[in-house]
Amino acid sequence: MLNIENLHAEVDGKSILKGLSLTLNPGEIHAIMGPNGAGKSTLSYVLAGRPGYAVTEGSVTFDGQDLLALAPHERAAAGLFLGFQYPVEIPGVSNVQFLREALNAQRKIRGEEPLSGADFLKRARIQADALGLSMDMLKRPVNVGFSGGEKKRNEMVQMGIIDPKLAILDETDSGLDIDALRTVGDGINRIMRTPDKAVLLITHYQRLLDYVKPDFVHVLAGGRIVRTGGAELAHELEREGYGAIAA
Amino acid sequence: MTLALPTPREEAWRWSDLSDLEALAVAPATMQAPDGDFHWISKGPRLLFVDGKLDEGRSRIDGIEIGSTGIASGHPLGKLATGTGWTLALHRDGASPPGGPIEIIHVATGGANHLPAHIILAEDAQASIVETYIGDGWANRLTVIEMGRSARLMRAIRIVQDSGFTSLRDEARLDAGASLVTTLLGAGHGSSRIDAAIILDGPGAFAEHGGALLARDDQRHDAAVVLRHARELGTSRQLWRAVADDKATASMAARVEVARDAQKTDAEQSLRGLMLKRTATINLKPELEIFADDVKCAHGATVGELDERGLFYMMSRGIPPERARALLTQAFIADAISRIGDEAARDAFQAEAEQWLEGRS
Repeated sequence: MLNIENLHAEVDGKSILKGLSLTLNPGEIHAIMGPNGAGKSTLSYVLAGRPGYAVTEGSVTFDGQDLLALAPHERAAAGLFLGFQYPVEIPGVSNVQFLREALNAQRKIRGEEPLSGADFLKRARIQADALGLSMDMLKRPVNVGFSGGEKKRNEMVQMGIIDPKLAILDETDSGLDIDALRTVGDGINRIMRTPDKAVLLITHYQRLLDYVKPDFVHVLAGGRIVRTGGAELAHELEREGYGAIAA
Repeated sequence: MTLALPTPREEAWRWSDLSDLEALAVAPATMQAPDGDFHWISKGPRLLFVDGKLDEGRSRIDGIEIGSTGIASGHPLGKLATGTGWTLALHRDGASPPGGPIEIIHVATGGANHLPAHIILAEDAQASIVETYIGDGWANRLTVIEMGRSARLMRAIRIVQDSGFTSLRDEARLDAGASLVTTLLGAGHGSSRIDAAIILDGPGAFAEHGGALLARDDQRHDAAVVLRHARELGTSRQLWRAVADDKATASMAARVEVARDAQKTDAEQSLRGLMLKRTATINLKPELEIFADDVKCAHGATVGELDERGLFYMMSRGIPPERARALLTQAFIADAISRIGDEAARDAFQAEAEQWLEGRS
């Protein structure tokens, strides 16, 4: 589904990713772990197409398409979803309006009919209920006045409504208490653990991996994958720290 | 006719460019007066002015008098609006007729047109008026408002001319406990000058004056508002949002004056500008002149660009960049337009702003 080969990328002229290669197949959940500054967030932004993140070498294909040739909104329509480490507040635009616009813009690019207001609200209610956000909150401006945990749950509500093929979740576990962590973990499993979807979980700690069992764990250090293993690698990292393994 | 117009050398006109007005005033009509139906918002009384003259056949003037208004102004543009105009005079406890706000559409077909208006609300009277400016040419207005004790007036004004110039001068005096709320939207393709002098002349009066000015290409919008607290316990709000794209200029000079006797004044002023391109210009001039010592005067003035993080967040969810920019800009001006009390008018103004932002109007 996603094939990253020898990816080099820089931000403000500073080289961050230095030859990263990674393949995700449908039905797989991959975790990328690594120390601060390893390039984890850069990888997620490069894949989503954030301006200012320049690819200098390598290639990324998504379902056979050249992902890097697509604009950010076209990547979303192709089925890619980025869960933000720091979800953005948008005063004056309600969650409901934002998501309906987003969903219907994606459907338009894919040549599908727009979803009616009623069908959209039905879909939104299912996801909000599952993640413990009220519809009243969804009628409020995007992330404005939401706590850190509510913002992360809102990311999962958005993911549920948009129903992507590939989710890149950037430190979705940060800032969550233990109950919220379970809710978010359940959300990821419910929405994304199907044979035709894939997830790239970017995380600093293994605690989310207690709820979302990865098929593969990769260690990112110095801008490339330095080690790959199964779920047990996360525990080893937690025990011994990144120093020993990344060295 | 030679017009004696102010020049940018005068402080109150420093951001204005009135140099085209003389040519506009003598230019031949550029369009026919439209004979189709208009998109009236309200089902209440309605007035249609074509080049400042009432179109009786398409107006329902219940309660409004057409004739000499008896008003005069020393304002350089306002004083040009003389002769026949309209007057709304409501007696004590009077209300504008049912069926929604009084709606006035001003069509300009080219050249210059001037029209005075006089609004007199006696004690406890209340009215709501929605005005729309369309067409080409120069539309110039003087509106004098006198409000008795506890009278209430809501005004919503949209300037959506295809070209030309719209200049509006308001002069209002509020008695004790009276309330005047004026909301303006500039969302056309012509330029404008908005002038207002509002005096809170009785204890506990309330005045709100603000709106959203949208400018692109080489449009110029210019607002100069003076809100004077002459008596105690008054409240005033000035909330302006300006959006400038291309080489456009949007300027807002908003002044609050608090006289020595106007203790316990509560004044708030919020001026914000959004530049959609760096070639655009936004001028903000918040001014406070306070002679009383027990007052609350909050003020803020900021100019910025669209939030890049917000734009990327929207695009990452599938919203195309142009639409994301329009949504964020709409959000920026939303609180200025939300002040319109009449729901149908508010929706119409919002749609107008949205259309402008989408570049479709």
